This record gives sequence, structure tokens and C-alpha cells, in this order.
Amino acid sequence: VQPPEKPLEAEEWNRLRESFPLPEIFEEVMFNSMVRCNSPIDVAKSLLTHVAKSNGDIPYNLLVKYLVLCVQQRQTSEICDVYDIMKIRFKILESGAYNVLIRGLSNSDQWRMALTLLEEVKKIMIPSRTNYESCIKAASRHQEMNLAFELYHEMLAKDLIPTLDVLQAFFDFSRGMKGAELQKELFGILLYLRENQIYPQKTFMRSIKLWFESIPGGNWRGHLTNIKDSGQCPVCNHQLEDSDLTEEEYNNLRERIIRDVIHGTDTFRKTSPQEFEAFQTFVENRLPFDIVIDGLNVSHIKPRKMHCENLFDAVNCLAKDNARLLVLGRKHMLSNSSNWKREIMKEMQNKADFFFAENISEDDAFLLYATLQSGKHCKFVTRDFLRDHKACLSNSLTRHLFRKWQRGHQIVLKKMFLSVFIQQPAFCYDCVVQTTGDTWHIPYKDTFEEKYSYRVPRKWLCIQQK
Amino acid sequence: MQSANMLLKKFVRSSVLPFAAQHGMKKDLFPVSRTLSLSLCLKQDNSCSPSEKLDLDAWKKVMKSGFQEEVSETVSEHKELSTLAAARETLEMWRLAGRSVPENITEEQLQTFMECPSKSAKKKYLRYLNLKELYKKNDRRKMDEKRERRLETQEQASKTDETKRNSFICLWASCMDRAYSWRVAQSMIFGQPLVFDMSYEKDMSVREVTNTVRQIVLSESCNRRSVDPFHIHFCNFKDDSLYHKEFVKHYRDAWGKLLITATDQCYTDVFPKDKLIYLTADSPKVMKTFDHDKIYIIGSMVDKSIKTGVSLARAKRLGLETAALPLEKYLLWNAGAKNLTLDQMMRILLTLKDTGDWKKALEFVPKRKYCGFVSRPLHELKKSLNLINTLKLGKRQEELRKQFAKNYSKKLMQK
Repeated sequence: VQPPEKPLEAEEWNRLRESFPLPEIFEEVMFNSMVRCNSPIDVAKSLLTHVAKSNGDIPYNLLVKYLVLCVQQRQTSEICDVYDIMKIRFKILESGAYNVLIRGLSNSDQWRMALTLLEEVKKIMIPSRTNYESCIKAASRHQEMNLAFELYHEMLAKDLIPTLDVLQAFFDFSRGMKGAELQKELFGILLYLRENQIYPQKTFMRSIKLWFESIPGGNWRGHLTNIKDSGQCPVCNHQLEDSDLTEEEYNNLRERIIRDVIHGTDTFRKTSPQEFEAFQTFVENRLPFDIVIDGLNVSHIKPRKMHCENLFDAVNCLAKDNARLLVLGRKHMLSNSSNWKREIMKEMQNKADFFFAENISEDDAFLLYATLQSGKHCKFVTRDFLRDHKACLSNSLTRHLFRKWQRGHQIVLKKMFLSVFIQQPAFCYDCVVQTTGDTWHIPYKDTFEEKYSYRVPRKWLCIQQK
Repeated sequence: MQSANMLLKKFVRSSVLPFAAQHGMKKDLFPVSRTLSLSLCLKQDNSCSPSEKLDLDAWKKVMKSGFQEEVSETVSEHKELSTLAAARETLEMWRLAGRSVPENITEEQLQTFMECPSKSAKKKYLRYLNLKELYKKNDRRKMDEKRERRLETQEQASKTDETKRNSFICLWASCMDRAYSWRVAQSMIFGQPLVFDMSYEKDMSVREVTNTVRQIVLSESCNRRSVDPFHIHFCNFKDDSLYHKEFVKHYRDAWGKLLITATDQCYTDVFPKDKLIYLTADSPKVMKTFDHDKIYIIGSMVDKSIKTGVSLARAKRLGLETAALPLEKYLLWNAGAKNLTLDQMMRILLTLKDTGDWKKALEFVPKRKYCGFVSRPLHELKKSLNLINTLKLGKRQEELRKQFAKNYSKKLMQK
């Protein structure tokens, strides 16, 4: 339906309604299309008047839709009026109406009313993060940074995840403002990014840069740069944090892997206790390894070649510098078949240690265990992203640790069509927001860069104090 | 009295309203239903002055005037709402806003609703309740219609007044029941056992347990109606379990008279281990034929969030043989998980038992999950697939030619 351009009389509305195939929902459909076409508010009013006069009442959903239209056109006084009417008519409102009201009021000079509405919402439910977002933005737009931060902390305490927009708003609106307290809060936001491994986008990064440079008497300078593979910043020659986990984190991760990934709810799901024990003694007797290889994964790298040939190439390529190798596989690799030639397998077993799991066991879990048990220098080779194993870990902190460890220790054999394996080196520096007090290094996402969760940004913002 | 009141209202509304409001008379004059009178007088107003200019804010007046006094009365009452009442209130508002929310909700359901851990869980639960309510309403409506129709036909029948003669008394239902029970009782003595493993309760949510029991009830009834039923065993069945509670809910009094064996023992204690085969979709072994001497075990589990390897782990722990249905071999699989519902499994097994015909048995796999039956044997299909690939890629032609030459020379040699 096309909404009319001018307010209509009751008669005309009646005629329209009669011509509509489903007269019961005519008003609803009409309001929806008014919102879509952003019709003049007077048209909506005339329809409301018609409804009110013929029924003596206006249903709640129509009021909410009218409210959406008002918010869309920033009719503040009208929003307040509708709110008053709703208050009179209904004991409480539901979340949809509150969302619209808060959004509408926070963008107007009546923004303080949005705060009182937020209080009202808190009485009946946990406000959504967009509710907080509107209120925080309104407060910081009016330079009430204390209030904004109060709301922000309240939001975090309720386990709501702030949008990047809100965080950016903090930096945007405190540009040029003085105050040690404020500075501390904003540094707190940067540390929040660090802890949750969040990377800001380009516009957000620019806001951060501008804020730093605007601190009165701070003498901060920001530069955009790419970090070298060695982990050195070309601008300030500062060495970034390395990707190694601390002793405590490392032990924690290892225990979690054994508990959540290998055992899980039932050890029999991935392996069996006997097999795992056998594997443990096998690993203990031969420790430490330098590189652990997922045999089956590597053997599928080039589909045109025999499986064992692929594996043979990989082992040869990695065994060069006297590195101690462990190859994990399954028992079926030992049966002499068209893909697995016995002679080649024999030859490989001279160069590396092999462990063959049962055919129905999962070898990935063993891969993780063997690598972690060997120590921090040990790397592993597989093309697998290990997502399902990450998902088995029970809390998000350990999942972050796992990702970090994986970034530092997984080697991927790239370029399947070349005869030589090209190794992609594991990162030796940690890709996360970091500071030394007088420098900050912040990785950011380019807007055009495809964002995969496993890919870390290569571009950095370097900020240093002169 | 009522009409007098109405008259008064009309009178006051159209002329003395402002005056009355000022003097606080309104409340005394009409304490009951306001909207009706209001619309009446408004319509009157309209007819009096049709050429008046459109008043866009008229609706506000209507909304405000209609409810002002009511608020002054109710505000004090509703200030302190208990959490339950508040939740009920919110639900009502959601319903008004047009969300899928049930009209009526019991205290118990409200409690579960409030215990939902997240907003999306709440939404999901409400949608489920709403759908349930809709189905119920539809069923009731259909039943009413049916009853009316029956009454009509009865009336007609009584008019024609025709008596039928038949050698059987109309006792079909109970006779059939007795015949079925006789068969199942026989199978309990001589029949092949079929085990339902009831040890998955802690792997499932409450909803999943209810679904499981529903499926088992369906399979039990299939079994009862078949020509040669299984002897059903519920193993690892605890008396105070959720399963038990749900079964009693379904069967009521019939639960005690059901012709099955329920035991809290494990199947390994009841049957010899070498005769047991655990059926699980995760099994690496594929079932070739139905063995009449073996005892098949089905895990009574519904896993909506797919948990791979749970039943395989159980079989591994006890060192049992496992098997999966040869779905790949006979069906061109399309979409969906390979795990089937319990009643589908039961139908498949019953058909296999009677006929041994895989094609007939696998008719019970839902049609949406497969494109069709594999008409030619699998290795032939693979051959043609390989041929297509070679043609497409143009590779391995050399290899093929060589092979051809080899075969050819062999043939020559044989001759």
C-alpha cells in the first residue's frame, strides 16, 4: 500500500480501508508503509484520529509504530506527548517501545529524559546494549563524561558487550579535554580492547590518534605503520611483546586442553583411556619434539599425489636442521594400500617418530597434547584451524589463550602447487593493543580488509610521547 | 438503570463535560464502561459538523480523557508489583505489540520463562508456547466442527430410521487391542529382543527428554501393531528418572500394563556380550544384513544440538560391536543429519525383520533427506563418476590409455 501524501478525512480513510483486502490489519499495514516511506507526520496523525474516533481507543502497536515515525523525523515534542499518553493508558511498557523512546529522546535536547527512562527499564528487565549506547552517546555529546563513564561501567557490570561505536564516541567527545581521571578511563578502554583481543577499525583508530594528539601538554604523536616480521616497530624501533604465554598461562592452557578437549564429557568420545595412556608414555619417553606434524592433514595437501608421497615431502622438508619430528597418524596408514606404500612409510620412520592412533580416534587432540607437552619452542604443522577444539574449551579466557598460542606455534604449509613447501612462519610478536607507558601500539583493521576471525591485522598505529 | 446512566453520560459528554470535570462530578456520574458512550457521542459530533476542519491532535484528547480518572485510582495499587506479576504484565505488553506470545500462561510456565538464562532463550520459549496454544486452539475448533457434523448426520439418521443387521457386534477397537496384546505377549516369550538404552538423561535438556519419550511411545505402538513384534527392553531405566515421569504422563494407567521389560540393569548384564550390536550413526561399520540372532540396541536420545560420538563412546567403553544403517549405500543423501528418530528406526528394523529388503525398509527415512535410491551398484556409479572427471579435467588420459592397452593385451593372451 502506498500511504497518502496529505492528511485524510475519516470518510476517505474508511474508503481506503474498505478497498483493502484485509480490513482487520489495514491500520497496521498502513503504518508500516508510512514508516518505510517516511511519510509526513500529519498523515499518521490523521489516521490515528480516525482510529480514535471510530474505536474510542488506539491499540498499543499502532502507538509504537507512530512513535517510530516520530523518532525517525526527530519530533521531540510529539515523542513526549505519546509517552505521556502511553503512561496514562498502560501500567508498564515493553522493551520495543522503550528502545524507540530512548533512542528518540537521547538524540534531542530532552536527553535527560532518556536517562530516567533507562532507570524505568531497569526496574523490569536488563536494558539492552543499544539502550546504554544511546544514553552514553547523549551524555558524552553534552560533555558529561563522568555520567557517561558511570553508565559504561554499569553496562560492563551487567555483562553487556559495548559496541565499538560507543567506545569510539568516548574518544571523539573527550578530544582536547583535560583531566587525569578522564585519561585513566580512556586508557582503561584501550586495555579493554587488549583483554578481549578486539581490533578497532580505521575510523575508530583515527579517533584514538586524534584524542592522543589533542591531550593538552601530552606531546603525543601518532604514526601509521606496518610492523616488521621481527616484531620491531619501524617508527620508534620499539620491540613488540612476544607471543609466548607466561608460565602460568601455559600450564593453565595445557591442563585445560587435557581436561576439556581430550577428556571432555567422556574420554571414549575422542579416544580411550588405554590409548591416551599409551600415547602419554610414548611422548614422555621421547620428549622433547621440535615439530609435531598432523600426518593425515599434511598427506592431503596435493590431491594429485599419493598420500604417503605428500607426507614424505613434508617430513623431508622439515627434517633438515636435525629437528626432532613427531608424526601423528592412524593405524590404517600402516596397511599397504594404493595410497600408503609400506616402503615409503618405513623410510619415513627412520627420520621421524610416528604414533598411530586407532582409526576411530581423533588425532588432533594428540597433536595439541604432544606440542604443549614438549614446551614453548615446539611448533605444529596442520592446515586445520582447530576451531572445533577451541570450541570445546569452557571459558572465553582460555579460548583467547588458545588462539594466541596457536598464532605463535602453528606452521602452515602454503602453496600446494609448488614442489617445495613454503613455510609460513608463526608470528613471533603478539598482535594485541599494548603499551609501555610512553608508547602505545594499536593494531587496526582496514575497512576494506576481509575480516576472518583467524586473521590478525597487519597495520598498526604507533603512538609515542616526545 | 443502565439506560438512564447512558442517557446521563451522553448528556454530560456533549454539553457539560468541562463544567462537570471542574467540579469533580464526573466520577460519581459514571463509574462504568466509558468507551462505548464516548464513541457514540463522537459519532454524533461528526454528523453534526461534517465540514469542520481536520483536527490532527484529536486522538490525543480521546486517549487522555478516556483514562485520566482511572489512573488516579489505580496508580497506588500497582506501584508495587511482584516479579511474577511484573513478568505477566510485560508478556501482556509484548502481546499487544504483536510479538508471538501466548494469550494464557500458567504460573509454572511463567516460572520457567523467568528462569531462562538469556533474552533469546526467553523469546524462543514464548514462541514455543504460542505455537502450542495455536495448535491446541485449532484442534479444539476442528473437534467442535466434527461434533456438529456428527450431530447433524445423527439427526438425519434418526429421521430415516433404518436399522442395520450385522453378524458381528461392533467391537473392533477392543478386539484389535486384544489381538495385538496377544501377539506382543507371545513375542515377550519367543520374540527377538530389542533394547532401548535409557542412560542418556544427563546428556539431554528437559525438552529433549520429552521428545525422546514421545518417540519411544510412537515406536512402541508401531511394534504392537506389527505382525511379528520385538520384545522391547528398556535397560538402564531408573524408576525416579525424568524418562519415567514422562512415560507415566503419556501412558497414565496403561504404564503398569505395558507389555515391555523395563529394568535398571545394563544390557550387558541381561544378554551375552557377543550377541549385542549397538546401532549408532557414528559407527565406522555399516550394517549389511539384519541378523535375527543378534540383539540390537538403540540409544534413547534426541540431540538437537548435534553431539557426535556420545553413543559410540558408550559402546566403546563396554567393548560392544557397533553398526550404522547403510544409508549412503542405498540412498543418494541430500541434506540433514544421518541420525534418525527412534520411531523411524523402529519401523526400519521391523520391516527388515519381516522382509529383509533394504529398499523397503529405508522408505521410512524422511523424503526430504535424500534425493532418491541408488539404482545401480555403487562401484559402477563411481566408475562413471571417474569417467566424467577425466573428461572434465582432461588429465590421466595417459594413464587410461595405458590401462586399456594392458587389458587389451591380456585379452589377447587369454585368447
